[in-house]
Amino acid sequence: MKNALKSILFMGIFFLLLIGTSYWLLPQEAVYHYGIIKTAHYDILGEEKDTIDVVVVGDSLIYSAVSPMEIWHEYGFTVFDSATQGQLIRDSFKHVQVAVESQHPKMILLEANVLYRDAKNKPWSYDYEEWFKMYNPYQGYHNNWKRRLLTMFQNEDDFTNINVFKGFKYITDSEPTTKTNYMKKSKKKKKIPEENQRYFQQIVKYCKDNNVKLVVISTPSMKVWNYAKHNGIEKFVSSYGIDYVDFNLDDTIDIDWNTETRDQGDHLNYKGAIKFSHALGAYLKKTDLVVDHRSDSAYQSWNEGYRIYQKSLK
Amino acid sequence: MSYFNVLYAFVALPILVALYNIVPKKIRPILLLLASYAFFFSYSKFLIVFVMLSSLSIYLAGRKMSSLESKKKEKLEGLEKEEKKAVKETYQKNKRNVLVFTIIFNAFFLFIFKYLGFFVKNTNHLVSFFGGNNFLPIIKLAAPIGISFYTLQAISYLVDIYREKIEAEKKLLKVMLYLSFFPTVVEGPITRYGDIKDTIYEGTRVTYQNFCFGYQRILFGFFKKMVIADRLNIFVKIIFTDYMSYSGPAIFLGAIFYTILLYMEFSGTMDVVIGSAEMFGITLPENFRQPFFSKNISEFWSRWHISLGQWFKDYIFYPVSLSKPVKKLTTGIKKTFGNRVSSLTMGGIALFAVWSLNGLWHGAGYQYLFFGYYHFTLILLGNIFEPWIVAFCTKAHINRKSIPYRIFQTVKTCILVFIGELFFRADGLRAGFSMMKRILTDFQFHHIGREIASLGLDIKDYIVLAIALLFVLGISILRERRIPIREKISKKPLVLRWTLYYVLIFAILIFGAYGKGYVPVAPIYADF
Repeated sequence: MKNALKSILFMGIFFLLLIGTSYWLLPQEAVYHYGIIKTAHYDILGEEKDTIDVVVVGDSLIYSAVSPMEIWHEYGFTVFDSATQGQLIRDSFKHVQVAVESQHPKMILLEANVLYRDAKNKPWSYDYEEWFKMYNPYQGYHNNWKRRLLTMFQNEDDFTNINVFKGFKYITDSEPTTKTNYMKKSKKKKKIPEENQRYFQQIVKYCKDNNVKLVVISTPSMKVWNYAKHNGIEKFVSSYGIDYVDFNLDDTIDIDWNTETRDQGDHLNYKGAIKFSHALGAYLKKTDLVVDHRSDSAYQSWNEGYRIYQKSLK
Repeated sequence: MSYFNVLYAFVALPILVALYNIVPKKIRPILLLLASYAFFFSYSKFLIVFVMLSSLSIYLAGRKMSSLESKKKEKLEGLEKEEKKAVKETYQKNKRNVLVFTIIFNAFFLFIFKYLGFFVKNTNHLVSFFGGNNFLPIIKLAAPIGISFYTLQAISYLVDIYREKIEAEKKLLKVMLYLSFFPTVVEGPITRYGDIKDTIYEGTRVTYQNFCFGYQRILFGFFKKMVIADRLNIFVKIIFTDYMSYSGPAIFLGAIFYTILLYMEFSGTMDVVIGSAEMFGITLPENFRQPFFSKNISEFWSRWHISLGQWFKDYIFYPVSLSKPVKKLTTGIKKTFGNRVSSLTMGGIALFAVWSLNGLWHGAGYQYLFFGYYHFTLILLGNIFEPWIVAFCTKAHINRKSIPYRIFQTVKTCILVFIGELFFRADGLRAGFSMMKRILTDFQFHHIGREIASLGLDIKDYIVLAIALLFVLGISILRERRIPIREKISKKPLVLRWTLYYVLIFAILIFGAYGKGYVPVAPIYADF
């Protein structure tokens, strides 16, 4: 009994220390507005309020292909990848809600691949892992000790260093693919799971209600994408009046699948991401919805962030 | 499920401990077996059938050898001396046949999963000299996790029964648990049936002290892996992938960091493994004993991956050195060249066999064979030159027990180890030599500061590394002096003890190299 009480006390103190140190490590303004758990789970909450113009929501295809800092450097648009590995559309909906709530962006870009990911195919541990990530404030921010040591006595957040990659995952590995011509024209259409269709309807409604333009995009992936999926998405999203841009059909990007993929055509690597980010920036420019902030004094943390981002590239 | 997965250490393990204490004593080994099979399945799915087959084969072979032994004893009663000899020989031969057949059966799976690709590649290469093209199809097979470890355990079980060191187990379940015990199945230590059978099937209740001690050991393992090994991985990965862009000193630093990384990863895993087993009152053998304090390569290998070294000693070194052909050869040499040359030859032949197999055990590749022969050469040269070194030191009045001389020996050994590990990690033998060439010819020390800064770690990372390494060094010194650290801490006041634990836990949580921007080291030895 005495040992059981000791164990409970030990765990109690541990959780108190966890909360205390989490508060120290997390962006404090966001913690104040959204609480520790939510701030730790959604990286976008580490960004200064209402500074992001475009939020890209999706799975690993997004955080491998979209480097917001490359787009910032070339076009001056503020983009953020709100992407997680193997994201389900029900989670995408939450990411969209958090993004809109905290940033009021002009545009949300949703990766089409999440529409085909069936929750039924996820392993039993998926929900548990998600739950654990959500309640582990250290997952995304523990490395902030480096920044906090420098700004120990500072009350306000300095957003320069919080996340210079803005959700992008910098990976330079390269593994070529032997596959060719993966976007062979076809009339086949791949059906979207019904549950995903319902979540998509909710996302469309939520964006309309909040006056945010929603666009569905497909990032280049030889392994994941094909024409049947393209057709399925095109027909489905057009029925809601939503734009669909399939970058797999954009020959101008010119991905070299021998050197610009990290895993045999599944995801792009850093080299591929540079090309794709350039193409995405060009597309955003054409929409006329976003503006160049590079000379705006309110966005100087992005210029400083870009400098650190460049230093971080090996 | 990795040992460093939170799901393993802080969810599955406590649940298992709780269940273990709830169920009746008799059921506890069954519970451990079920947990072990679930753990194995989480890694290798249906390849679990191979560990089951191995268990069944050694169980049946053990029973057969045991029954042959009983029959032999029955037959021997009332026989004359000459008849006894003939009966003994017949039964010994039958036992040997069972032993050899079962070893081949188990080694066959190891060959198929681990060496077939290497064999096919080399055969095709050889055939291509004669104009053939892709003579054999290249097959890529996923191996059952820990096959290199449990196969060695299976062989030791059989040989120990054959040598009558242990009795064949009567219950299949116990043999199944011995081969698949979840803490040891992925990366060892390679246990002997005789050493763990008393505790593994005992079903002793988990005590509060065992639970706490187990978790302390697990946390120390997490610290080594997540704060040190995973952080060093950033540096090492860049150097070994792109060594052509770096100077000799930076590459040598990469070799040092890789050796430290390997030690922290493997010994950290052993801490988690031994700590996990300790909770259930099961004492596993230590696999490391402060290897970087060794004074020569031979001593290093008696402190690094101890269970593998012991296995090779008992099942390869002694059988080879005591085999008839070797004995015959060394007797002849003894007559002509004397005792010393004879014993060096005998040891040399056995060492050659040990290090050939040791190299291949680590992987099917020429760099692993080279790694084996590199250590074979160093140990053999050490044995040959030892008397001359002793004579030289005596003549030069060098005290071999003095601190400076011992430091010199330790540094020399470490440098030799770093070189060996460089070849071990390099992407093939050619890359290894190329890196060595740069180390020996490219002394651009003026670049080193800039290079170190460009290898993915910043000054704060280096400070964390330095403090963490000093902490591990301190623990190592205490262990070398045989000071029971955990027992000592447990006698300190509660506030001090708990402060220490919280510092360790939060050091891992805050300074661990996990999450964004970090790629954790994959379990290196699990692939062997």
